[in-house]
This record gives sequence, structure tokens and C-alpha cells, in this order.
Amino acid sequence: MADGCLWKGIDSAVYQALLTRKYLTRKIMPMLAMVAVMLSVATILVTWSVMGGFLKTLIESGRTLVGDVSVVWPNVGFGYYDELIEDLEADPMVAAATPSIETFGLIQLPDDRIELVSIKGVEPGSYSDVTGFADTLWWKPIEEPTPKDRKREDLRLDDQNRALMEQVFANGLAMQRESPDSGEVEPAGVLGVEVTGLNYRTKWGGYEPWSANRARPDGGVDRVDSFMPRDGSVGLTVLSLDSEGRPIDPKRLTMPIANEFQSGIYEVDQRTILVPLGVLQRNLRMDAAQRVELVKDDENPFAVEVDPNTGEIRPKMKEIVGEDPARVTAVLIKAADGVTPEKLQERVREIYAVFAARHKGEVPSAFDMERQVKTWKDLNRTMISAVEKETGLVLFIFGIVSFTTVFLVLAIFWSMASEKTKDIGILRALGASTGGIAWLWIRYGAAIGLVGAALGTAVGYLIVRDINAIHDWIGETTGLVIWDPQQYYFIEIPSDVDPSKALIVFVVGVLTCVLGALLPAWHSARMDPVKALRFE
Amino acid sequence: MSTATSAQVETETRASDSSLILSVRDVRKTYKLGRVKVPVLHGVDLDVRRGEWVTILGASGSGKSTLLHLMGGLDRPDKVEGRRGSLVFEGDELTKQSKRALDRYRADDIGFVFQFYHLLPELSVLQNVCVGSMILHGRLGYMRHRAETQKRAGELLERFGLGHRLKHRPAELSGGERQRVAIARALINGPSLLLADEPTGNLDLKTGASILDAMIEYRERAGLTMVMVTHDERIAERADRVIRLEDGRVVEEPPRAG
Ligand SMILES: Nc1ncnc2c1ncn2[C@@H]1O[C@H](COP(=O)(O)OP(=O)(O)OP(=O)(O)O)[C@@H](O)[C@H]1O
Ligand SMILES: [Mg+2]
Repeated sequence: MADGCLWKGIDSAVYQALLTRKYLTRKIMPMLAMVAVMLSVATILVTWSVMGGFLKTLIESGRTLVGDVSVVWPNVGFGYYDELIEDLEADPMVAAATPSIETFGLIQLPDDRIELVSIKGVEPGSYSDVTGFADTLWWKPIEEPTPKDRKREDLRLDDQNRALMEQVFANGLAMQRESPDSGEVEPAGVLGVEVTGLNYRTKWGGYEPWSANRARPDGGVDRVDSFMPRDGSVGLTVLSLDSEGRPIDPKRLTMPIANEFQSGIYEVDQRTILVPLGVLQRNLRMDAAQRVELVKDDENPFAVEVDPNTGEIRPKMKEIVGEDPARVTAVLIKAADGVTPEKLQERVREIYAVFAARHKGEVPSAFDMERQVKTWKDLNRTMISAVEKETGLVLFIFGIVSFTTVFLVLAIFWSMASEKTKDIGILRALGASTGGIAWLWIRYGAAIGLVGAALGTAVGYLIVRDINAIHDWIGETTGLVIWDPQQYYFIEIPSDVDPSKALIVFVVGVLTCVLGALLPAWHSARMDPVKALRFE
Repeated sequence: MSTATSAQVETETRASDSSLILSVRDVRKTYKLGRVKVPVLHGVDLDVRRGEWVTILGASGSGKSTLLHLMGGLDRPDKVEGRRGSLVFEGDELTKQSKRALDRYRADDIGFVFQFYHLLPELSVLQNVCVGSMILHGRLGYMRHRAETQKRAGELLERFGLGHRLKHRPAELSGGERQRVAIARALINGPSLLLADEPTGNLDLKTGASILDAMIEYRERAGLTMVMVTHDERIAERADRVIRLEDGRVVEEPPRAG
């Protein structure tokens, strides 16, 4: 027949609703299809939520120690930053700003290992205002155990350690420590908690200081107590650059450790040390200094003198004494409430332009700085794009999983539609149109999809909400630990369901069923009614 | 060309004969099973007048059900040498109708009683009877006709002695009861032509007779035209007219006295 197109003839009628209801409640097959849809929807929602939550936590951790927006001028840095910070803090879009120096250097650990580290010079007070620094300090007194620490093994909980923890926490916040020998208070650094490798990561995701062995040249071994904040120190070697950016001489300094931090990003915690800004400025020769310049003396152009360095005769020179301002490589800025990093970035550029105009020739121009004003997202671009790739991969795998479900549903519907061939013949004989029959099955698919996907979403939501409890229960009853805080950097499995994700998974679940029903619907609708009636 | 014109003329003359409700001319049907052809109808001619009760007799396999399906628009006659034969219902050529028009024809103009009940097993007796009306009226239409349809279904089932079994499902009914449900279903939309394929074939004599009585009574009251296939000579005797299918053609029995 010419009119093979069945979609233009879809009729909606009461018999479809009636039969959909009856077929749904009277047969085991739709139950199976529904369970299949439910399970795949729940699985996808759980995986997506956990994976997404994990990635989100990771990305958010990237923000912890860098503020919302940074003005970055690497290596040589820029001066008059105090003025810039004042200008910034006067703006209502800025909550706080703090100077910082970022450089690389070598660290010598208590067991004499030498590693490359990222060294950040910060002013502890204002750094805390701009970043989550205070919260990342690990050694501090705590009242409640961390989530997996059932047996309260965390030594930070212990009342005996309380005084020590309080002291160490205060030291960390101020970045200073009393010298065990002289009793003098001296500037101290804060180490990433994984740097020394001497903090043993416990089963419940905390840390216990571990003592280390140091090999002696005579073949013996020294025990090294490794609770760094008490009396540990590290050796740092930094390379200062002159104002042209050329390396001058390496400087070695001994840095007592005040506390250790955990930012949530392993790469950061494993190779970063924070030191007081002043210490780093001094050692990098970025502090304020008198500048002495020799210029030709114009008073008497013919006067000469002997150059004290070379012993040669030269035109008479005179000294001009100037001030080289202290420099930093970055100013970190925290946005006021409700201001997005992108908006703040724009504003900071404007503020910088005004500042640069005032110090023409003394600080990088506004034009040069345009691209050096970065949001925390820009700074973590590589990590974020890796995370985005992973999310893409996960979604791709979901696509394949959903596709399998389409076939599963198709197989189940096909067998149901064949089983109901005679019914279709009867309905056709009573005048039902091909479109009407097709609609019957599509409706049916949609109904199964709606119920299955709704149940699946609900089950998925409940699983994600209680995933840590479920995980613990599985661990207790079967000994199977899937998410091991000792291995993973996050102690708990992320347990938030993003409503928009839930909605997407639900809709895709329903569509899957409708898609699975299309082929049987088309087949059933096209069937010759007389043959269908003869079907046994 | 000349054949087409004469066929058209003939169609028009038949159409003008308002006493005819259905007119079948030169209808052929051959089933193909792979390469094997099973010729069933070789040019059937048959006129059914309004209000008439025609009975079709014939041996098993002679094509009675096939003919009924063709008359009911469930199937189409074969095209042989460019001619399809013709089936004219109330002046409309069925072989030229669109699929949708045929759907409409089946839903509205005719009632079909199958040889093997063919009830929908998931639906109750009442729902099985109402299904025809649901199909005919569409979603909104049925909402309006619902009460009326259910009342009419109740009345029909009452008349066939099933008034107390509306909520039962077909599996809970005897063969005779199922057939009566099937007949009520065929009549729900008030068709003008009832096509019944051995409605009493699977039943014992007494049950068969009582069902037939109910149908006859309804037919007389509603002025229904009825084409009924049967094996049973005694049923045939009660009809207005009896035709016989032999070798794929219609052989008319001489009208009997009485
Ligand atoms: N779909 C089909 N494919 C092939 N052959 C068919 C098909 N349908 C019917 N036939 C054949 O056509 C012939 C006529 O069948 P039909 O059902 O019309 O006979 P009938 O007169 O109704 O028989 P009965 O009295 O047993 O019901 C039979 O020989 C049957 O085998
Ligand atoms: Mg038959």
C-alpha cells in the first residue's frame, strides 16, 4: 500500500491506555523490562554522581591555596605591590588581597633526601584571608573524628596532645616557631603533608608521624623523629634572579617547620612548601634595597678619576642613591560574596591599569599584564581540562551502557509484541489503525520507561545519598573495601546527587525505552491483520 | 480501457440500486506459500440486500473465512490481469479506499464475529465489548460517549444472558459465553452489516440455538443485515438466502418455500 508512513496516522485512543495498563500489570515481561531500565538508570546515576562529585571536589581543591583571581608576573616579579593591594582592597568587588612569591628550589628532607619543590612565600595573616590556608593546616586540635575514624585513633583528638596541637596550630597560622635551642621565635615554613613521606597515611584517611632512618656514612643508621612541627626543619636551596631575570647565586637556608597542610590535591601536597614572604624576598633578593648608580658627573665634563675596581682612568662619576622596592611574583585576590571570578578578573584588570599608569616604567604595563590576570580556573587549566576529558570519557561509556539497554528493552518488547500478535489482529479487525497500534506500543514503552526510570532515579539517589554507609556495610560484612582512604585522596565517597544529572539520566532512561519500543511498534503496526488473527 | 469503462458503468448501476448494501464482483484470492500457490477464490459474485440474512455454506477450506475477511475490509482481493474485482459497500468501492478509510469502515459500518471468539484476554467482559467504541471514537470522543457506550454494552450483554458477568475475564467464561461476548462486541457500534464466521460452530446444539435466537431477535429489532458462515444446514434453513462456496465460486441455492 502506498501509505506506508505510520507516524502521520498516530491516533490516541482510550483502548491504548487501557491495554497499556493491563499489559503492564498482568505480565512478567514488563516487570523484567522495568527492572532492566531501573537498574541501568540507577547504575548510571550512581556512577555519574560519584565520579562527578569526585571530579568536582578535585577541581574545587585546586582553588584552595590560590584565591579567586591572581595578578602574576613570574621570576622577577613587580614592585609597589602594597599600593596595588590597597587599591584592590578599596574596591567593593574585592574581599581581600595578599602578596605572594612563587619559585622553585631544592628541599633537603630530614632523612637527607633532596627533592625539587615549589616554594611559596606568603604573609600568613592576609594569605588566610584570601585562601583556605587556615583550614588546610593539618595539625590542630579537633573535637569530632574524621568520618572514617571509628575508633578515634586520630592523635589530634587525644586530650594529651591538646596543648601541643594548639601550639602547633597557632605556629602554623603565624608561620613561626620557637627555637628548641635558643628559645627565640623564628620564622617557620608550612610543608605539604605528603612532602616528607614521613606522615603515614592511615586506613581511615588521616596521618600518623612515622620515624625515619637516616643512613650514616659509617654504615650505621640514625633514627629521625618525624613530627616535623615539633622540632623538624628542612634545608631549602633557592636561586635568586637579578632584576633582569638572570640567576645570581644559589642560597641555602634552614627552615624550621611550623605545621603541615593538606590542600586536597596530591600533587600540591607532595611538593609544596609555604615560607614567610619576607624570608623568601630576602633570599631571592626581592626585598627593598638601596640602589646605587654611577652616572657621569655633568658639573665638570673634563674631570677624570681612577676606577677603584680596574685601576683605569675614567671620566669622573657621581653616585645616586635610589630605592628599589620590594617585589613579589603574584598578588592573590579573593572576590567579595556573589562576585564571579570572571567579573573580578575584569575589574582587577581595570584597577591594575590605573596602578600601572601611576608607576609608568616601574611596573609591567597594563597591556603586558592583560593576560597575566588569571582566575583560579586559568591557573588550574591543565588539571581542569584533564578532569573534563575524564568526564567526557565517562559519559561516552554511559552512552554505550544506555545503548545496551536499548537493545535489551528492544528484545523484551519484541517478544511481548509477538506474544500479543493476536490482540493486534483483533484490534485491527475492529478498526484500529496502524498508527493507533504503533502508538499503543510506544505508549507502553514510555510507560515502562517512566516507571523504570523513576524507580531507577529514586534508587540511584538513595544509593548515592547513603553510599558511604552502604560502602561501610559492604566492607564490614564482606571485607571488600572499594574506596580505600589510604589509597584515595578523599576520605569519603562523594554523595551529592546533582538534580540536573538526575533529570538527564531520567529522561535518557525514558527515551531509551521509547527507542526500544519503536521497532516492535513499527513491526506490529505493519502486520497483516488477517495473518495476525491466524497467529497461534 | 473498454473493460474499465464497463466496470465503472456497472458499479454505478449497482450503486444506484439502493436496496443493495454490499455487492461483490469477480473477487479472487490466491495464497502464496513460498512458491506454492493456493488458489482459494476464483471470481466470487455476491449481492447482499439491506436487511437480508445470507448464509454461506461450504466445505472446510473452501474459503468462507477468506471471503468474509474480504467483505470486512480486513484483506484485499488479488489483482488478476490488471483487474482487482470489486466490493461495493453502500455505493463506496472498498478496493479503492485508503487504509484509514477501511479502518473506519471496519470500526463503524460492520461488526465482525470471528470463528474463534478472539477476545482480548486481559480485558474484562465489559471492556471487551466497549473496545470497538474506544477505537471508533478516539480519546476525546470516547470520553463523551463513555456512559452511553457502557450502558449499551450492558444492555447487549444482558440480552445475551451475561448481565451478571461484566467484570469477569474471558478465561473465566465457557465457550458459549465467550462467543456471546464476541457478538455483543461486534454490535456495540450499531453496525449496519454483521459478518459472522461460524458463530455457533464450536458449541453444542442447544447453546448454539439459543445464541442464534438472540441474534435473530436483535436482527429483527435493529434491521441488521447479516452474512453468516456456517456448516450447519439447520441454521442455513432459517436464513433468508443460502449460498454455497464451491471450487472458489458462489453457487446460489434455489429459494425454499416456508
Ligand atoms: N494465510 C494463508 N496462507 C496460506 N493459505 C491460507 C491462508 N489463509 C487461508 N489459507 C488457505 O485458504 C483456504 C481457505 O481458508 P479459509 O479459512 O477461508 O477456509 P474456510 O472455508 O473458512 O474453512 P473452515 O470451514 O475450516 O473455517 C484453506 O485451504 C487455507 O489453508
Ligand atoms: Mg473458516
